Amino acid sequence: MNEMSELKRLDDSQAASNEHDAQKGKYMTFKSGNEFFGLEIQYVNEIIQFQSITAIPETEDYIKGLINLRGKVIPVVDVRLRFKQEPFEYNDRTCIIVINVKSMLVGLIVEKIAEVVEIKEENILPPPTIGRADKSHHKYVYGIGKVGNSVKLLLDPDKLLNDDDLTVMEQANDMTLEEE
Amino acid sequence: MAEEFSTDGMLDMYLFENEQLLEQLQDMVLEQKDADCFDEDSINEIFRTMHTIKGSSGIMMFDNITAISHKLEDVFYYLRESHPDNVPHVDLVEHVLTVEGFISDEMEKIRNGETPDGDPAEIIADLDRFLEQIKDGGVKEGEAPPPENVHVEPKQFYIAPVATSASRFYKIYIHFFPETEMANVHAYKTVYALKEIAEDLLYSPEDIISDAESSDIIIKEGFRILLQAQTTEEEVRKIIGIGYDIEKVDVFECKAEEFLQGFDFGDEEDGMPLIDLDSSVEDIEARAEQAQGGEAEGQTAPAKPAKPAKPAIAPGDFVIKSREPGKQKKLAKDKPKGEKASFIGVSVSKMDQLMELIGELVISESVVLQNPDLKVPGLNLDNFNKAAAQLAKISTDLQNVIMSMRMVPLTNTFQKMNRIVFDVSRKLGKDIEFVMVGEQTEVDKNIIEHISDPLMHLVRNAVDHGIETNEERLDEGKPDKGKITLSARTEAGKVWISVEDNGKGLDREKILQKAKKQGLLDESKPESAYTDKEVYQFITLPGFSTNEQITEYSGRGVGMDVVVQNIQAIGGTLDIESAQGLGTIMSLKIPLTLAIIDGIVMETGTSSFVMETGVIKEFVRVKEDMMIHEPNGEEYIMIRGECYPVLRLGKWYGLTHYCESVEEGVMLILEVEEKKICLLVDKLVGEQEIVVKPIPSYIKKVRGLSGCTQLGDGSIALILDAGGLVE
Repeated sequence: MNEMSELKRLDDSQAASNEHDAQKGKYMTFKSGNEFFGLEIQYVNEIIQFQSITAIPETEDYIKGLINLRGKVIPVVDVRLRFKQEPFEYNDRTCIIVINVKSMLVGLIVEKIAEVVEIKEENILPPPTIGRADKSHHKYVYGIGKVGNSVKLLLDPDKLLNDDDLTVMEQANDMTLEEE
Repeated sequence: MAEEFSTDGMLDMYLFENEQLLEQLQDMVLEQKDADCFDEDSINEIFRTMHTIKGSSGIMMFDNITAISHKLEDVFYYLRESHPDNVPHVDLVEHVLTVEGFISDEMEKIRNGETPDGDPAEIIADLDRFLEQIKDGGVKEGEAPPPENVHVEPKQFYIAPVATSASRFYKIYIHFFPETEMANVHAYKTVYALKEIAEDLLYSPEDIISDAESSDIIIKEGFRILLQAQTTEEEVRKIIGIGYDIEKVDVFECKAEEFLQGFDFGDEEDGMPLIDLDSSVEDIEARAEQAQGGEAEGQTAPAKPAKPAKPAIAPGDFVIKSREPGKQKKLAKDKPKGEKASFIGVSVSKMDQLMELIGELVISESVVLQNPDLKVPGLNLDNFNKAAAQLAKISTDLQNVIMSMRMVPLTNTFQKMNRIVFDVSRKLGKDIEFVMVGEQTEVDKNIIEHISDPLMHLVRNAVDHGIETNEERLDEGKPDKGKITLSARTEAGKVWISVEDNGKGLDREKILQKAKKQGLLDESKPESAYTDKEVYQFITLPGFSTNEQITEYSGRGVGMDVVVQNIQAIGGTLDIESAQGLGTIMSLKIPLTLAIIDGIVMETGTSSFVMETGVIKEFVRVKEDMMIHEPNGEEYIMIRGECYPVLRLGKWYGLTHYCESVEEGVMLILEVEEKKICLLVDKLVGEQEIVVKPIPSYIKKVRGLSGCTQLGDGSIALILDAGGLVE
């Protein structure tokens, strides 16, 4: 985890890194299925109300489509579907967490937003490597944070979005002219 | 020295200004390359350009650029002064372009943060020889050799006179600390800053840019500035500022008459032979012009007694000298100056941002104007509606303006090609005429950036492979001059740019042989079954070159494939037409803009889609009995005796809730590259200009979708790419 924030800090300017220091150790937590997940708060841009989504044909089922965020078109991902959990009904209280990963904005549809918590480094454990049948979690969960009596699964947003076929994504990036 | 004071801003300015100057220079030179000689205006202009570049490069301490521009300035100084009529014009053009190329290369290095380390010695030596050559000729014809252009040659710092009653006049003394190094550079910084506000500006010593000696004079005697401006004394002081190296700044406000006398501070107005000698200049001329004229005259009156108080400085030493007072007006009207005033450079990202904002504005406008709160019965909305109409008008205008801001004529791109034809044809010894048609055609800036390279390649190919050598042409009885025509026009929302040559054309047999060797041919298909178009398409494949000889310019088999890739990347296509022995036409068909297209908005199922208007030939309502169903599920439709394949959009994308029946939906006949298909959608919504946005890169490319856009209600519609659907 240190490595990650280290990298992040290298990327950003001095001023921004000061800000990140203040944000360090804080996590946005949300509920999906029966578990609570945590995202480092520096990735979170904003939280918006659910709005209508334009579906895109021929994409993975967890990519729900596009939304218009004040003129910016951003893709939204259903986190539950991403975790291969049962789909849930969206309602007015459903929220979208807009995260910024490598300057790409993506919306995450989550069932319920919990709170922002501070997790000290010593309370973060690497994910157990044995004893769990469901290996799929390990792709996105890089650690387990203890907060009081509960645990939060800490997510690596980059892996969360990009699965394993990262190279394919990068090619797609190159092909999109306007992104240059 | 670049480190000694902050040059960041100055460096940017230096690069920006000089780039423009070089561009103008190149255009001008190429425009007249076929003439017998440069006209006088151009000679003056080239001289001035070189002089400016020399001056600014001197300040920035780019010695090689200074040296080379000085040398070319020398040549043009000679041309200007003695009008030799035996100048080999083409050589001269080439020399100018070589220098221009050298400086451009060096500036590119500077831009990339490298040191401009090119060695101009060879070019300078060439120029020396050239100068000798024309000088010899000139003397032979009995003309007196002009005085050598050494650095004492008077400089003109002429700022357009716009004297108004609000103008105020200042005399400024700046004293530098004696230990200041390069006081001339500091002085120039001050002058540079003052130019911003100045209506007229004189300073002494004048030659602070290239004359290192001036530094001593400035330290010893102070730096004097005469300024005409509309600002107050405090503001002037603020602009000059008190640097660590400036000891003292004195600013005196003075009257216009005093100002006109130049640096002759004091009360000895009578001593100035200003008015009587000035009779050749019309009285009605602008004050500042008078000042210049007067001072020029002052300079030619050596008898004028020098001021006793400062005997070292005769007025003629530091007032601005003008060579020919009559020319002043012309200078003021000079075209480049006028152009500079009416253009400013804006970063494209800012424009994009502005466009995005305007897009949002339009959407929020419709949210306001169609707000459900307004639908309450019994409201009197007359005034509201009036105001709303006004608002709508302004926002439409705003959209139009931002769109037109993005449009740039192709002129610059075409001029570059002119240069390439000139360079390559001279190196290959081919005599080629270059014709440009429709270079005023305007294209979105983004597109221009993308077509420059491919176009350059096509033009180079045309010169190198297309046009035969002079001897070959003679053998074939063709008119001896090769001709390359570069033309642009807009048609059906696309720009067509074609490169046409009257050379040897593509050799079908040769291409087929080569394709066979590379195993590109379909074994089962006889060679004669390939259409010309198919054969020519082979040359756009990677690694395919029929040229046996690799030349400096082409023949390595990379190129045409890159051209095609680049063109396709911006949604364009390349067409090749050729007739053996007669020539080749390479046509690029490119969308006018990537940013905004005219589109038809339609709905299928619960989704909205947009299709570019240009590709839609027709909308038709059809009857079920016009359909033809193949057993394998493919469908066709017969419309007026023509049979089209049918694509149901809803089915194609696996949408839900779309119309199954063709009678309820609408058929769109699409035509892309002569292929036609029918697309079935549920209903049409309307036509509108849409702002194209890319689909976020996170989502994998979907066949048949080229982007997305925001509709009036803020929802997102997907833009259909007809080309993708047809395939």
